[in-house]
Parts: sequence; C-alpha cells; structure tokens
Amino acid sequence: MLRLIGHRIAMSIPLLLIVSLIVFALEALVPGDAARTILGENATAQSLAALRDQLGLNDPWTVRYGDWLAGAFHGDLGTSIISGVDVSSSLSTRLGVTLSLLIPSMLLSAVAGIALGFASAVRGGVLGRFIDVVSLLGFALPGFWVALILVAFFAVQLDLLPATGYQELTVSPGGWLKSIILPVLALSLHGITAVAKQTRDSVMEVLEADYVKFLRANGVSERSVRYRHVLRNAAIPVVTSLGLVSVGMLGGAVFIENVFVLPGLGSLATQATLDHDVPVILGVGVFFTLSVIVINLLIDIAYGLLNPKVRVS
Amino acid sequence: MHGTIPAPGPSRRGSRPRLAAAAALCALSLAVAGCSGSGASGSQTSTQLSLQFPGPPVSLDPAKAGNGSSTVFVSLAYDPLIYLSGKGEMVPDLAVKWGFTDQDNKVFELALREGVKFSDGSALDAKAAVASMNYFLKAGGGLVGKVGPVDKIEAVGPMQVRITYKKPTPEAPSTLTQYNGMGNLIGPKGLAAPDSLLTSSDGTGQFVYDGTTSVAGNRYVYKKNPHYFQPAAQHFDSTVIRVINNPNAVLSAAQTGQVQYASGNANTAEAARRSGLKIRTAPFFNWSLNLVDRKGTVAPALADVRVRRAIALAFDRPALAKALAGDYATGSNQVLLRGTDGYDKNIGYGYDVKKAKSLLAEAGYPKGFKLTVLTQSIIDPNSNYSQAVANALKAIGIDVTLKVQATGIAQFTADALSKKYAATIFPTAGTTMAELNSQITSGGFNPFNSTDSELDSILHKAATATDAASRTAEYQMASKRLEDLAWTVPLFATQNISYAAAGLENIQTSVLNPNPVPVGPTADLSWRLK
Repeated sequence: MLRLIGHRIAMSIPLLLIVSLIVFALEALVPGDAARTILGENATAQSLAALRDQLGLNDPWTVRYGDWLAGAFHGDLGTSIISGVDVSSSLSTRLGVTLSLLIPSMLLSAVAGIALGFASAVRGGVLGRFIDVVSLLGFALPGFWVALILVAFFAVQLDLLPATGYQELTVSPGGWLKSIILPVLALSLHGITAVAKQTRDSVMEVLEADYVKFLRANGVSERSVRYRHVLRNAAIPVVTSLGLVSVGMLGGAVFIENVFVLPGLGSLATQATLDHDVPVILGVGVFFTLSVIVINLLIDIAYGLLNPKVRVS
Repeated sequence: MHGTIPAPGPSRRGSRPRLAAAAALCALSLAVAGCSGSGASGSQTSTQLSLQFPGPPVSLDPAKAGNGSSTVFVSLAYDPLIYLSGKGEMVPDLAVKWGFTDQDNKVFELALREGVKFSDGSALDAKAAVASMNYFLKAGGGLVGKVGPVDKIEAVGPMQVRITYKKPTPEAPSTLTQYNGMGNLIGPKGLAAPDSLLTSSDGTGQFVYDGTTSVAGNRYVYKKNPHYFQPAAQHFDSTVIRVINNPNAVLSAAQTGQVQYASGNANTAEAARRSGLKIRTAPFFNWSLNLVDRKGTVAPALADVRVRRAIALAFDRPALAKALAGDYATGSNQVLLRGTDGYDKNIGYGYDVKKAKSLLAEAGYPKGFKLTVLTQSIIDPNSNYSQAVANALKAIGIDVTLKVQATGIAQFTADALSKKYAATIFPTAGTTMAELNSQITSGGFNPFNSTDSELDSILHKAATATDAASRTAEYQMASKRLEDLAWTVPLFATQNISYAAAGLENIQTSVLNPNPVPVGPTADLSWRLK
C-alpha cells in the first residue's frame, strides 16, 4: 500500500507539469491578452504595446512559462496581473470557501447516497422506485437550475437562508452554516443520486450472489449479512462512483459559486480566464490538479482497505 | 381493479419524502438562523451601503480604471475636480470654480478647494493636482482618449491649475468629471507607488479602499475616510461592492436586501418591481449598425452612400426595440439621444423597405449582396440584437453572416480594428456630440480612418462657438451630416436599468448621467438610507 501511495505521489509531479503546460497553451490560444483587459477597448496601439512589454507578454512563450515554472518550484506562484494580489495569497483566501463547499458536498453525497441506495436495494418497492425517479431527476436537472430554485424558495420566499454570499466559519459558525446550506444542496444533488443509484445496483447484485445465499443458509443474521458482507463487497464500485462524483464537483463548484456569489476558487478561475490573468489561471489549475490527485489517492487507499486483493497486487 | 379510479394514496406517499426533505431543510434553516451570529456576507449594518456590480473593476488605479457604471469603484475613494450629478449638472467638487480664459476654448483654469486632504494625510494643492493629472496622461489607461487634446497642465498658483489644449475643447468641464479619469485626483504617496493603488487607495473621497478585507473579483470594501472635507455628506460608515454577474443572483440579492443597489435587466425588471424594489431607468446605449468600410475595401457595396442609406431604411425601429427589450428600449433614428444637446426631432432615419430596395437597385445591387458583420455576445447576450438586425437586412436582400466574438469587448475591438470586417454591431454611448464624434470617428468605429471635411468643419464651428445656442445649432447640423453619411446607423436605445432598495434616497439618473455614483460633495447628492 505504501508503495502504491509513493508511486501515485511520484506520478503527480509529471502530471502537474503536463497540466500546467496544457493550461498555459490553452490560455495562449484564446484571443486577447491581459494588456487589452487592463487598458480596455479605448486603448491605443502604443499604450498596448508598452503595457505588453512591461508585463512581458511579448516574450516567447517558453520564457514566460519557464519563468512561472521556476517560481512555482520555489513556491512562488506569481502575482495577479489584474489585481496585483499575490496568487498564493488569493488561493489561500479562497481555498476555505471552496473546501467549505466541496467537503460537505462530498460527505453528503457519500452518506445520503449510500444510505438511500442501500435502503432502496434491501427494501425495494416504493422506496426503490422513488430513488430511481429521483436519480433520473438528479442526473437530468442542471445544478445551477436547482440552485436558482432553492434560492427562490428558501431565500426569497421563506427568507430562511441567504440568497448569496459567504460567511467565514471563524467569524460566525452559524452564519457559515447558513451560507453553505443551499450551495451544498445544489452541488450535492447530482452526487447523492449518482451514488444512490450505484449503491442500489451494486448491493442488489451482491444480494443475488451465491455466497450470500450460503451465509443465510448457515444461519448468519440478516443484519450481519447486509452490513458486514453485502455492503462491504458492494462498496468498491460505490467508491469509484464517489471518486468520479467528487472530481465532477470541482467543475460543478464553478457554476455554484457563480450563482451563490461565493468567493471561491471556481469564481477566481472564471474571472482569471476572462481577464487572461495567466498566473492566477495556472495557480488554480495546479490546485485543481492536486485535488484530483488527492481524490484518486484516497480512492486507491479505500480500495486497499476494502479489498485485500488490491493491497497484494 | 380495471376501470377503478386510482386512489390518491400512492401519490401522497410519493410526495412524503419530498415534503419531509423540505421540512427538514426548513427546520435546519430555522435552527441555524437561531444560532447564527451575524448574517452571511452581503447583509449589512445600518451604516453600510451594499452595492452590486456585474464584474470586477478594470483597475482600481484611477488612471487605468474604466468608466460608465464601473466608475463607482474609483469614485468611492477619489473625488473628481468637477462632479457630474445624476441630473447631469456640473457641481463644484475639488474645483470650486472653472472656466476658459481665452476666446478659443483652449485655455482652461480651475480653482481648487481649500482645506482638502488626501487619505495619506497630505494636502490638496495645485502641485499635487497637476502631478496626478500628468500621471493619468502617461499611465496608458483606456480613458486617456476621452480627456481632449491636452497640450500641457501646469500650476499657475498655489490652488490654481491651468490646462492648455491643442484644439478648442469646449467640453473640458465634462472631461474632468468622475467619469473620465483625469479629474479623479490621486495623492502624492499613491503616485509615488502606483502599484499600491491596486490594494489600497489615496484619494480625497468619502471612503478609503480596504484591500485587506476585500476579495478581488468578489467583494470590494471601502471604509469611511476620516479626512473627508465634507463630513455631512458621509451617510455610511462603509460601502461594499459585491461582484454578482448572474442576473438571477442579482435579483435574489436585491430582493433579500443583501444589496441595496444593483444593476438590472429587462428580463428581471418586472420581478424586481413586484418585490418592492425601486426601478430606475435612463437611456444609455444607442445600439447601432456601424458601416465602417466606407471606402469599400472589404465590402465594395458599402462605398456607395446609397447602399448605406438603403441599409439605414431597413429597420422598423420601434418594433425592433419593443420586441427585444419591451418597455426598456426605444427606437433610435439618430446618433444623439433625446434629451442631449443637439438632438433634433425633425431629423432621423425612417423605415421604408421599398425605398431601400430602390436605392440598392440604383446602386447596382438589385438582388442585394452578402455581408459579414462583426458582433459580440458580451453585452448582446446570445446575440439576440444582432440576429434581429440580420433578419431586418434580409428583407432588403442583404444576406448577413454574423461573426460573434464571445471572449470579451477588448477582443471585439481588436477584431474591429483588424480591417477584416466591413460592418459591426455595437452601441455608441455619449451625452455630447463631441464625445460621440470622437467615438464614431476613431477606434473600432472607424478602422478604415474615414474622414469628412464637412463634418470636421461643422464640429470646429461648434467647438469655437461662444454661446450655447449656436453650439446646439452646430451639433444639430453635425447630427444631420452623420445621417447623410450613414456611417453609423442607430437602431434602438436601451435603458440602463437599476434596482434600489425602497429606503435608499438621493439617487437620480438622467439621459445626461445614466450611471450615478453613490457619493457626492454635498449631503443631498450622496445616497442615504431613510
């Protein structure tokens, strides 16, 4: 297992390099640059040329990327071209917001999804059909639309929760909770339904396995059959699904942050892309890549814990 | 069982989980509401003004900042020399008196207000004002083209500043208001370290920008300036500008009181009105089809003025405005908006498809021609306006292909300047003929550098006119000349829509100032809560 973790961490270094290079290249392909963003539509050719020179935008891409990379290796992700704020500082300011959104969403997706899926599989009937229907809705309804409906009902109509904005956890725990309830629900809906559907299918498949019949025939209690044997054996595809859902949430957070006006990394990435603010785009790109690496690592560890064969291989 | 009416039981059972979920969420919300301290960010104390803006500022450095509604980011912390009120009146601010000292409208002098301090503690004087204005001219910001042909700026007394222009510039006072950059004065410490202006401020305004509690791109916080020269006009302890660009999120934030002033749009205005918000409107954008290839370099047909006039006759402007923006737009048949100096109700393009076709036939295009038109989807979301323009031109045989630039206005401008496109769809925005003329005859509105000596002559006469009436008459002639040239074909004017909380007072908008700012040099010109 330790070898596996070490291997994964070693692989993350070239992955980070490749992703940052791709992000840099994609940004370069988008028409426009930061100088035009800063000077606006009325800028003269001379002032644009002067600012491009000042910002180093006329340098060859190898020099610009190399400069960024050299700084990144020393822990310096540069400074925002637009706001003049240190990128590491921007990321750390916004990291808490995004994690406040992502971690509860992942936990909610896991807990609610597995509970609903398992209950549906073992009970079937109306609950099973209900979860099927809700799963379809969860897949079909876009997160931002769900977000708008939640805001319209719980914020505007009932005035129970804030429509937009974020409160720091350290400033007011209650305010923090209020500010993330609706975003987390909107972001989790798809995850809950995806995990529930996967859990239901997986558990139903395992329930039909011969060894389950054998366990029951030997008088093992139904509780033990379900929770010690079935759930554990059904867990691997569920964990895979949870991993995919979690990675998908990184993208979903961009939309949800936009609707709820949360100052997280998603909205930072959106604005930086519109502004051609390359250091910020690369900084956020590195963070999201690291997040995907961590999620995959956690999934690998979970595989190992759930299935001894994975540990051996 | 066949033929029986299904009992309502199952549907009730099916709805139980959803009801339970809603009830659980309500219970959780109520519990949280009970235990939370202060509200989420966006809620405010009684002395905080919370505003919404759809995007981050172009820059917080006044010399590189944007204009229009984004002026608010600068005006909270920096006072202008001359304040343009919501009604469109010029009001003394950092300058208490101003005027031309010559007959040619080329030498302009301002007397500065005594006893004003920058937030760095240094005093305002002519030397500081001149340094700030010269910094503006050299900083390379996008507004430098809007302040006239400045030759030199000098201090001619301890509190007296002189601006000398290369050409007659009767609009000098309006170029020194909060909307054009140069008049927003920066203090000596800020000028010594311009990068510091991105994370703090050094103006004389009612507020000081607080970069430490702001989150770039999301929330901009301004705290009361203890040095402000007119404390009676300071109605709030702090102001927050929240960046919200999703129109539905804007509406929700305004409806729930998270922001007290927000930009609206035609799609959400009715919902805002129903929820008790005050709707303010003022004409702003004059959407136009700009026939920029007047020499026929890319589209030979446009070299013929009859073709350009035919195009101008192809639009049923009132119907177009109604269909695209309901009550929040009106047809516009001339470059000047109603209510601005030089608007003439007796001129303007009409709607006559038959005559348009006849003009095209005369010009040798009886079956029309193909035309690629550059447009964008940033301020014309989904390119709805542009599609409508293309459809109208189809009726006179012109087959339009739209090239939609979606990456930004700056890139749209770069494309317009590339000389690859014979026509563009983009609004003009200006309250004076001088402002409009500089827009129409430069940049993306005139990439092929068309000139017209008759138009120049009229505008020169206007610039050197010694009385307002004769200047207005010249502006009307200029407007008529632009109509004859058909360089820019106005289509419809859209309203700037904003939502204000019911208790927010002193907000005024007009065609002369559709983008009011919340601060002014007197108590009555500054917004306040009832």
